[in-house]
Amino acid sequence: MLSEIMMIPMIAALMLLLAIIVGLFFLGLDRKIAARFQSRIGPPIVQPFRDLVKLLAKETIVPDNAIGWLFNLAPVIALASALLLILYLPFLGVAPILSGYGDLILVLYLLMLPALAIAIGGFASGNNYATVGAQRKLIMMLSYEFPLAVLVMAVVWKTSSMFPDLQGFTFSTFMQHPVLTLVGPVGGFGVVLLIVTILIALCAELIKGPFDNPEADTELAGGVLVDYSGRNLALFLLSDAVKLCAFITLVIGLLLPCSLGDMFSSFMYTGWLAIAANVVFFFVKFTVIAILGLTFVRVAFARLKINQATKFFWLVSAGISLLGLLLISLDSMM
Amino acid sequence: MHDAYKMFLGPVHPALEEPIFFDFKIVGEKVIATNLKPGNAHRGIEALGMKRNPIQVLYLSERICGICSVSHASTFSRAVEAAAGIEVPERADYIRTIFCELERLHSHILWAGLLAHEIGFHSVLHYGMKVREDVMDLLEYLSGNRVNYGVYVIGGVRRDIPKEKHEKIRQSIKYYNAAFEKFKDVFLNDKTIRMRTEGVGVLTKNDALKLCAVGPTARGSGLNKDTRQDWSYLAYGDIGVKAQLPSQVTGKINGDVLDRTIVRLLEIKQSAEIIERCIDQMPKGSLVSEPKAAVILSRLKNAEGEGIARTEAPRGELHHYVRLAKKEVVDTWKAKAPTYNNLMAVPVMMKDAQIADIPVIICSIDPCIACLDRVSIIEGNSGKSMNKYDLHELCLRKSEMFGKIERGHQ
Amino acid sequence: MSIIPTLLKQLVKKPFTNPFPKKHAPNKVSDVKKINDPIPVPDDFRGKIKYDRAKCIGCRMCVTVCPANAMEYLPKEKKIKHHVLRCIMCAECVDVCPVKALSSSKEFLLAETDKKSPNLIEK
Repeated sequence: MLSEIMMIPMIAALMLLLAIIVGLFFLGLDRKIAARFQSRIGPPIVQPFRDLVKLLAKETIVPDNAIGWLFNLAPVIALASALLLILYLPFLGVAPILSGYGDLILVLYLLMLPALAIAIGGFASGNNYATVGAQRKLIMMLSYEFPLAVLVMAVVWKTSSMFPDLQGFTFSTFMQHPVLTLVGPVGGFGVVLLIVTILIALCAELIKGPFDNPEADTELAGGVLVDYSGRNLALFLLSDAVKLCAFITLVIGLLLPCSLGDMFSSFMYTGWLAIAANVVFFFVKFTVIAILGLTFVRVAFARLKINQATKFFWLVSAGISLLGLLLISLDSMM
Repeated sequence: MHDAYKMFLGPVHPALEEPIFFDFKIVGEKVIATNLKPGNAHRGIEALGMKRNPIQVLYLSERICGICSVSHASTFSRAVEAAAGIEVPERADYIRTIFCELERLHSHILWAGLLAHEIGFHSVLHYGMKVREDVMDLLEYLSGNRVNYGVYVIGGVRRDIPKEKHEKIRQSIKYYNAAFEKFKDVFLNDKTIRMRTEGVGVLTKNDALKLCAVGPTARGSGLNKDTRQDWSYLAYGDIGVKAQLPSQVTGKINGDVLDRTIVRLLEIKQSAEIIERCIDQMPKGSLVSEPKAAVILSRLKNAEGEGIARTEAPRGELHHYVRLAKKEVVDTWKAKAPTYNNLMAVPVMMKDAQIADIPVIICSIDPCIACLDRVSIIEGNSGKSMNKYDLHELCLRKSEMFGKIERGHQ
Repeated sequence: MSIIPTLLKQLVKKPFTNPFPKKHAPNKVSDVKKINDPIPVPDDFRGKIKYDRAKCIGCRMCVTVCPANAMEYLPKEKKIKHHVLRCIMCAECVDVCPVKALSSSKEFLLAETDKKSPNLIEK
């Protein structure tokens, strides 16, 4: 029998592998459904897996005027930080594996790392397109961090004001007491507004749809990734997939942590069936968020200019999240 | 003052459908200077044309560009007819008009999709492609080909449009009137599209006049200028065409990308109307002045003279100049495409633009580089120009090289 | 915002794309789930030019009008050879042929891996 110490790394490794597979699968699903929205047939759902295999087999080129070590390091940092992020998040609806070693604040910082790594890679590649893309990525990051911070603040404040004796910044607290169950109808509307905010940030984080300025294929021809090829690009593809997983898990963990198991806790919470039901329910939420927040937003809007996107995040998105915060605090006063 | 850096766009870039080179000086995200250099799509078509007889050149002229193919064939055939004094039957003129307008329809719908693509709105691109399919099918039904229709001959047309085919044309017209409403709704009411097109790439009326802008680019800036209206040709005189101006929809003229979009969308509707009037009023009569190709060829061989024709292509005014000199082949042939004029306006439009506006502005004049590139200057900054003899020499040397390689393999 | 209803409608409808017709079956036929038929073409479609050698009188009219020089005249036999690779499908030769030895077919999938394939030379 395996000891406790051996079990945790094993489970963690399995979890990470699963995160990669789920992420790649959902990237494929996103492309397929986007194609259907546009009346096209679209690529097969396994296309990202094939892309990955192809990219790994291709030659990796480092441009002459790039800073070699930094250029090669950036994709590794991006993937590593995205994988680390998964371990701090309640992926598959179970408590985070590293839950004792860090909390939500750490997650917020880790969330910045893949974005930073992309920007560093862009700056290191020494291409004008990539430099402009990296600048845009940093500006975007500064823009969507504020609504995210407001959102985390709202959830944590609500939970810890109701349960002052529990640890406020951990996901297990949110899982025990989902924020939707703590608020009345007014606060519920506030939570919906917060969900809208985080779904808008989802596209910006994943460099998709209206906020794909850092990559902007018709302007910057791939932007930050323009000089990347082969193994390095494959690593960025993987980090993209894991980031997709991580961010949607964050949405679920923060705002929609309700699980089926809780509802049937009286008679089947401990059984394997309950865990399976939890996982299935997790994926249902995952799919809905991925399609609504990523695919639909991606097909329904044009790309914004960088100043328009920044303005949008600082005025509209921040406004919506502050309104959500206000509604939740109003709710607790009533 | 911030440091300005250089950014190059092209010759190969996702925002460009065809090769052309742009050179920008940029501070941060703002464009402060623009330079452009065409010449990458030169194929020496005119030189090829001067080795062939006019009947052959007609098909060659269609292949100058895939999208404005009928415009080139129409202009070239009218230039040759003017040079040789050949009369065209009235019915042929009406059929030529129908093909010109069908081409304008599909070109403008394709353009609307491309504009959406440049601003990252792929759904509208795919919607445009889907809507365009109907007119492509109609053109295939009428002419037998989807892209280069080959319906023109010197002195008339090859394919008739009999009564049985009118039904399908009318269905298409109905479809495109509906599509026009849809596109108008999307481009005028969608917030994100308006954010990217309104106030971007402004070309004032004065600048448009000075830079000799033509076609929808000029009309978007408020110039009441349309070859079909000002120098009527084919059946347009009978039908009566009015230049479409953006003020018909918005009440004012800004000369920005949105205005050029509105002009092109209005022309979709206008083209549908012209086609409908054409099939209503189509006169009876023969299709060609002389059915035997051999007779036409001998007439052209003995003809002497020069002819100029101008056509309102989807992108603006197109010129062809032809000289016949009692030879079997065309003595001189020169085509001047509308993009030649409109491209000169791009540096003016780029004033105060952002990097994100660059592809939108380039797309807004609907550049057709294959039409534009009539000359090629190689060896970069040395400015050495290659004439047709130099190119022929290069071609011979290359064939020799390939021959050696092939022999080497055997 | 107005494209959104159209997008939602398209989501539930069948895709508009015509799948690319597979003319040549791959090496393992069992792998192919469905061979897509090419979509039908109109009656007067201008496809690959067919040549009827018996009817040809060698008048060289087609050689004169062909814009792409796809017709090769064989002076000994007084017949022609048609190179499909050079052909631009304008069918002018079909119109000028006095004895109707040339005709347009409906065949349009002409890609071949071998440029000397008999499918690419009509004689």
